[in-house]
Amino acid sequence: MTRLNRVFAAALVLVASTAWSAGFVPDKSSLTFVGKQMGAPVEGRFRHFDGDIVFNPADLAHSHARIEVDLASIDLASDESESEIKGKSWFHVTAHPKAVFESTTIRALGGDRYEVKGRLMVKGITRELTLPLQVHRVGGLMVAEGSTVLRRTDFNVGEGVWADPDSVALEVRVNYKMTLKS
Amino acid sequence: MMQTQKYSSTAITLHWLIALLIAVAFVVGLYVADLELSPWKLKILTWHKWTGVTIFLLVLLRILWRLSHRPPEMPAGMTALMKKLANLTHLAIYLLMVAVPILGWLHSSAAGVSVVYLNLIPLPDLVGKDKALSHLFGELHENAAWVLVGLVGLHVAAALKHQLVDKDNLLNRMRW
Ligand code: HEM
Repeated sequence: MTRLNRVFAAALVLVASTAWSAGFVPDKSSLTFVGKQMGAPVEGRFRHFDGDIVFNPADLAHSHARIEVDLASIDLASDESESEIKGKSWFHVTAHPKAVFESTTIRALGGDRYEVKGRLMVKGITRELTLPLQVHRVGGLMVAEGSTVLRRTDFNVGEGVWADPDSVALEVRVNYKMTLKS
Repeated sequence: MMQTQKYSSTAITLHWLIALLIAVAFVVGLYVADLELSPWKLKILTWHKWTGVTIFLLVLLRILWRLSHRPPEMPAGMTALMKKLANLTHLAIYLLMVAVPILGWLHSSAAGVSVVYLNLIPLPDLVGKDKALSHLFGELHENAAWVLVGLVGLHVAAALKHQLVDKDNLLNRMRW
């Protein structure tokens, strides 16, 4: 490789790796979920979460994501249900204020689809997770979104009287949409 | 020509069925609103919603019946003013029988909780999730339910006055 070529290659890597790094746009990102109570869908969301995300389709090896969710920022049916879910039987936010997702590997599945493997920590319990991701560009922004189904009991969320799946279903669909600046 | 002096058996059945269900929905509504959040509360609240949706459907049928039939004439002994008041009360009761369930449905939709009637038929969400709006619809639902029950009380008192004071045997018109 000529000297010039090497400089050029280095510059290219640099440009490529800064392409979509770290510019997490909170107000264009969302984290919502749909559970079921007594068989009826119930939706909610988290108002505050922080993303430390580097996503570069040309360099997935150095791409990664760490999302921290402020569990007390939950938006649910009523003040009463919000204070219940922050309590000990559910998220126990005074002891575990944050849920954290940390990616380990990101794999291209072809087209605009990717697969993110990582670890999710909720209420002191860590589990491996594989998240589907679809990525598209909107203006100067990159939007990465997808959804997955979590079992709340895998994280001891909803204990005691609330463990009954007929009252509140164990499966919760989580929808994530993360918007990044270049 | 003789005007018929009784309601049809369809109207009579709808009248008493709806009356019973409104009493149940009202008492269960007051009970559930005072419960602490628990699986039991979610269960009762769901039954309350199903009862309310049943009332809503029966009231729609009843309105269809009313629009396609002529009810018996009011008793000859009533003054024009009394007839007008009775008609107004009946109209207000019809309006509230529609409004109270819709406000309950709005309350639930705005809370982000969909209604699945009898666990079989998903009803559309009337509005998007909005906690403050849900709270407002909850207050309106409660107040409208109290006004409905207040008017029904007036309605019952009037029926008893006809029966016991005027002795015009008005209740017979609503008997099978
Ligand atoms: C004629 C029919 C109905 C009557 C008479 C009725 C009456 C009531 C009453 C008296 C309350 C208590 C309000 C309070 O004290 O805060 C209540 C609460 C409630 N109702 Fe209804 N209701 C009816 C139909 C419905 C329907 C159709 C729905 C939903 C589809 C519904 C959903 C609710 C909800 C979500 C609450 C709040 C309970 C809580 O505080 O958690 N209602 N209702």
